Amino acid sequence: MCGIAGVVYKDKKLHPVGDDLTKMLDALQHRGPDSAGLAIYGGLGLKENEYLLNIEVKEKHGLLEAVKETVNTATPIKKEEIIPSVENYMIYRCKIGLDSFSELKPLIMDIDKIDDVIVLNGAHSFEMIKDVGLVKDIAARYDTTSKMGTHGIGHTRFSTESLVDRYHAHPFQSYIIPDITVVHNGQITNYWKIRDPLERKGHIFETNNDTECIVHYIADKLSEGYKLEEALEESVKDMDGPFSYIVGTPNGVGIAKDQLGLRPGVMAENNEVFAIASEEVSLREVMDTHDIDQIAPGETRSYTI
Amino acid sequence: MSEFIINAENQPPREVNREIKKAAVDYDRIVVKNPNAMHYIAAGLIEPVELVIDGSAGYFAGTMVDGAKIHITENAGWFPADNMTAGEVVIDGSAGDGVGQGIYGGTVAVKRDVGSRTGEIMKGGTIIVGGNSGFMTGLFMMGGRIIILGDVSEDAGESIIRGAIYVRGTVESLGKNAKIDNLDDDDLKELKEVLPEYGFDLSEEDYESFKKIVPRSNRPFYGKESEEG
Repeated sequence: MCGIAGVVYKDKKLHPVGDDLTKMLDALQHRGPDSAGLAIYGGLGLKENEYLLNIEVKEKHGLLEAVKETVNTATPIKKEEIIPSVENYMIYRCKIGLDSFSELKPLIMDIDKIDDVIVLNGAHSFEMIKDVGLVKDIAARYDTTSKMGTHGIGHTRFSTESLVDRYHAHPFQSYIIPDITVVHNGQITNYWKIRDPLERKGHIFETNNDTECIVHYIADKLSEGYKLEEALEESVKDMDGPFSYIVGTPNGVGIAKDQLGLRPGVMAENNEVFAIASEEVSLREVMDTHDIDQIAPGETRSYTI
Repeated sequence: MSEFIINAENQPPREVNREIKKAAVDYDRIVVKNPNAMHYIAAGLIEPVELVIDGSAGYFAGTMVDGAKIHITENAGWFPADNMTAGEVVIDGSAGDGVGQGIYGGTVAVKRDVGSRTGEIMKGGTIIVGGNSGFMTGLFMMGGRIIILGDVSEDAGESIIRGAIYVRGTVESLGKNAKIDNLDDDDLKELKEVLPEYGFDLSEEDYESFKKIVPRSNRPFYGKESEEG
């Protein structure tokens, strides 16, 4: 099944988005117990061309040092933190500076060459937290409830085809343009028809997960000048299968639902908050749900700040 | 009248339903407080009891009920009253997809908008929607009636086999095997009887604006109409 959620504060100020999304996802826990994740935008406060890397590292002698050496060879590590995870893995989180965004993906690919190491993400304007297990456990591990932001998206996963691990936990991120994320409930059944043209354009796929296909598709459209709403509308025309997914960008979130309406999506909005989720029980965590809208088959909704 | 109150807060659906079914034997009226859009509330309730869900319900509220009268004071998720055989489910707010899916009897009344596939594969009973109804309303409907006071989206009556869909507003498009028919006096009499019963007070002009969607053929896919079973 999977559960998806997104929230935007319309005043562009910092709010407890981490706490909101944690509650929204916990309310959707019944939709998937495998992994969970959040992308919290607006609260990192990084300077221009600074990035935060989240790197999964196996607890093995000398491995963390090898990771640090690879990063330091490219650019000095400015700040670092280790977050213990489960199954003999830790998350090494470090802040770095680069001359331009175009250097980020090559650096990530260099780090990924180290055995038992994988970069979960690298971001400038949002904080990615994703791990295996239940929402409450992950929230405690990463202190998600203290995270502030302007908006964010989240996911709780019931895996279907691809692996259950941190990397395949949602959100997925694209590096075609900075800081585009996607959480997804469903399947893209014409996956290769979507992936092929994107690869021919030079976009790099790291997995065979259909959610990665969506995030690259949307990022590609945005890079061509489409607005978020337009990119979502195009995706509904181009993609087959049962799906509803939420896109996060540095200035908003949006949802798209397949043309047969085979996956759920509801939204509610007031003067302060725009919220979307798989079910009403999730929306209730952030606002009064007297007036909720069902996202119709083939419909898209978005809010940008 | 004897009343029993259940607090659903922090309880799993199985426990809430166990309490409902137990109370339904001894009480006339049950009120479920703090439902918090919980799924499966009142699933399989077969006592003729009055049940108030004081808030929103999640998916499959009142699925497979037989004889109970359920009142949901806020919204409902997907498939409220699914496979109901007799009784009543009244929803004061909006509802998701598949309202009244597969009902055999009874009445589902939603005061505001509903999602897609309202009344899919229903075989009898009545569904009333105070607002709009989405994509493929009456999908593969095999009997009963759906009454929509607002508009219906694309492919209304898709593959309808029997029954009728009454629409006061606009019909965006018809599905396969569906056609628009005129209402006769019996249709209007039925509408005028049932709608006020659920709090929908319409003018004569409103009643005159209803359209009726019915099947073109009872055997649209294979076989002959004379073989209709």
